[in-house]
Amino acid sequence: MSSRTTISRITAIGGLSTAVLLAATACGAGGPAATSGSAGASTVNVLVEAGGHAELTGVAEQCKKETGVSANFVELPYDGMFNRLSSEFSSGNVSFDVAALDSVWLPSFKDAVQPIDELFTDEAKKDIFPALVKEANVDGHFIGMPAWTNAEIILYRKDLFEDAKNKADFKTKYGYDLAAPTTWKQYQDISEFFTKDGMFGTDVKGGVETEWLSHVLQAGSPMVLDENNKVVIDNAAHKEALDFYVGLAKSAPSGAAQVDWAAAQNLFNQGKTAMTRFWAHAYRQIPKDSPVAGKVGAAPMIAGSAGVGAVPGPWYLTVPKATKNMDAAKKFVKCAYDYNSMGIESSLGLASRISAFEKYQDKAGYESFKPLIETLKGNATATRPATEKWQQIVDTVLVPMLQKAVAGGDSATLLADAKKQIEDLLK
Amino acid sequence: MRVAERTTHDAGAPAGVPTEPAVHTATRPYRRRGVNREGLEAGRRSTRTLLWVLLAAAMVLYGFPFLYLLFTSFKTPIDTIAVPPTILPREWTLENYTNALGRSGVLASFINSVQTAIISTVLSLVLAVPAAYGITRYKTLSGRIFIMAALVTRMVPPVAIGIPLASMMASLGLADTPVALSIAHTTISLPLSIWLMSSFFEAVPNDLEEAATVDGCSRLGALWRVVIPVVSGGIAVTAIFAFLASWNEFLFALLMTAIRSQTTPVVIANFQTQFGLDWGSMTALAAVYSIPVILLTLLLQRKIVAGMTLGAVKG
Repeated sequence: MSSRTTISRITAIGGLSTAVLLAATACGAGGPAATSGSAGASTVNVLVEAGGHAELTGVAEQCKKETGVSANFVELPYDGMFNRLSSEFSSGNVSFDVAALDSVWLPSFKDAVQPIDELFTDEAKKDIFPALVKEANVDGHFIGMPAWTNAEIILYRKDLFEDAKNKADFKTKYGYDLAAPTTWKQYQDISEFFTKDGMFGTDVKGGVETEWLSHVLQAGSPMVLDENNKVVIDNAAHKEALDFYVGLAKSAPSGAAQVDWAAAQNLFNQGKTAMTRFWAHAYRQIPKDSPVAGKVGAAPMIAGSAGVGAVPGPWYLTVPKATKNMDAAKKFVKCAYDYNSMGIESSLGLASRISAFEKYQDKAGYESFKPLIETLKGNATATRPATEKWQQIVDTVLVPMLQKAVAGGDSATLLADAKKQIEDLLK
Repeated sequence: MRVAERTTHDAGAPAGVPTEPAVHTATRPYRRRGVNREGLEAGRRSTRTLLWVLLAAAMVLYGFPFLYLLFTSFKTPIDTIAVPPTILPREWTLENYTNALGRSGVLASFINSVQTAIISTVLSLVLAVPAAYGITRYKTLSGRIFIMAALVTRMVPPVAIGIPLASMMASLGLADTPVALSIAHTTISLPLSIWLMSSFFEAVPNDLEEAATVDGCSRLGALWRVVIPVVSGGIAVTAIFAFLASWNEFLFALLMTAIRSQTTPVVIANFQTQFGLDWGSMTALAAVYSIPVILLTLLLQRKIVAGMTLGAVKG
């Protein structure tokens, strides 16, 4: 066979295979293309964190009925979403018309998203928790509409608290009645009381920073940075909060340095801890076959000297400047506000409007909503500092510092070191 | 003494030296040989035992995570997060499979994964086979530089090229298509494929091609009719590696796909949210997703073994 024949055969086979494959894959199996505007002027692509789709499904259906705008959802895992957003915003070529952003990302993407001031009417501002209204406003413009929010509350084992023997023993030992704690002294006593027979009173999370920061807020200080972005992590409130936080370790499982949200939730759901400070959504996510299912009570976050304080965990719907479907995108965001309470029926079971939570707070199964509302309205409740370096500060300074603290490090030294590191990061 | 007799009975004894009686000379070598054979057999047995132990240890080491994943996929929600963890489910359930496979977009993601992996594998082979052949048969300086350069591309962290690649594909109008993702995956598998194929081509003696040329084949004819059939095992090995590289790839899929072309690794990762981790459904989908690769490996097992031992034919 001549080389020419061989070449033509190889070329023909290769060409045919490539053509077939390219034709087969001209459109993927997932549906319409995910480029802004490509699905038509009345369809928006909505980028959400995995799980966020369920929160907005009801809203999307209602929005289609009312405005004719339908939504395609793009779900991405939380850990990769920031990279994806950075990539698309920096290229100026976005594949979505609406993006749900974690509150900590707002400062990073403030220049890539549209102001939506017209949606923040006076009525709307009254119905959104004050801390969220403040956080949504960046450089004088509202850039994100809260889609759902969360905060840490107290979850406790109602069955143990109502047990007659426990009640009697507790009263004998501490001189007052066993009930859901309303002061941190009570929280300490109850934690100590239940730490016996392989069980622990509470958990101490060395792998996450939010809980310690709630104590900082309750002690009356802004978190880490003041309003002028001056680092205040070494002030008395931070030290007091850290000492208290670490002090609970004697009533918590060992290995606190490695305990994060997932570990703490597992410990509670397995019945290993009597109380936990945890995000409110967890109340409705206790597995049915858990030994604690149906035995859990909820209480608001406890007040410190400055009042009830917690760090909210909201997600905001934003409209990228680069979208080709601006009008439809804004209509969808308005729908998400108007029908916000529909998210409560989803698996995550959260909303962002006060009226939405209030609508459900007296219904069975939603006992966590009253404590959540009280916590989110708390005097000391505040959102994270609005700096685009925040995630970096958390990952490289705050969490390592907490891990050293719960392992026995000196709090004053650790806070002083942290201050220097944060100042270096902010330079 | 005749030569034949001396060879049989007095091997090694100098000429003229008296030999021992025939009865002794006849039995001693047999006994010695028997002892050696037993010793050799015992040595072989202990080597074999050692190898089996090592093999079993390796099997446990590599197989346990997969078995744990498989068992977890049959556990109830509370079992999946048990403290301390259990290996076997306390109660077996198929609920996780129902949840995982009933989730919207899962079937589409499977199809996307298959499409992407096939295109990427074909692209890798179509480019790697001629490149490797050229490098090994025409030993030029530029060939050596090229193959080293191909290796260097593997040293760049994928995240460093992922974002620029995603922007490029979007500019070309290929955003959110399996073609774009396949091209991105080929950047991962191509260097490895070229290196693998080069080693397989190196193992094929030039004499084979020369013989084919003598029989009237052109250079490309010899490649097509003689060399490629000889290295078919190697091609199977390379294809499997390229397929796996694409099948399991996550980062590029995360950056470059959305509604239309999202692959299963991204869907699997979506079971982890900021508000919790659905271990049961995640492991169920991961178990199902590993089935095609296991089947492919079993199907091509003979070719893979042939490919692994290809170096043995080097003349």
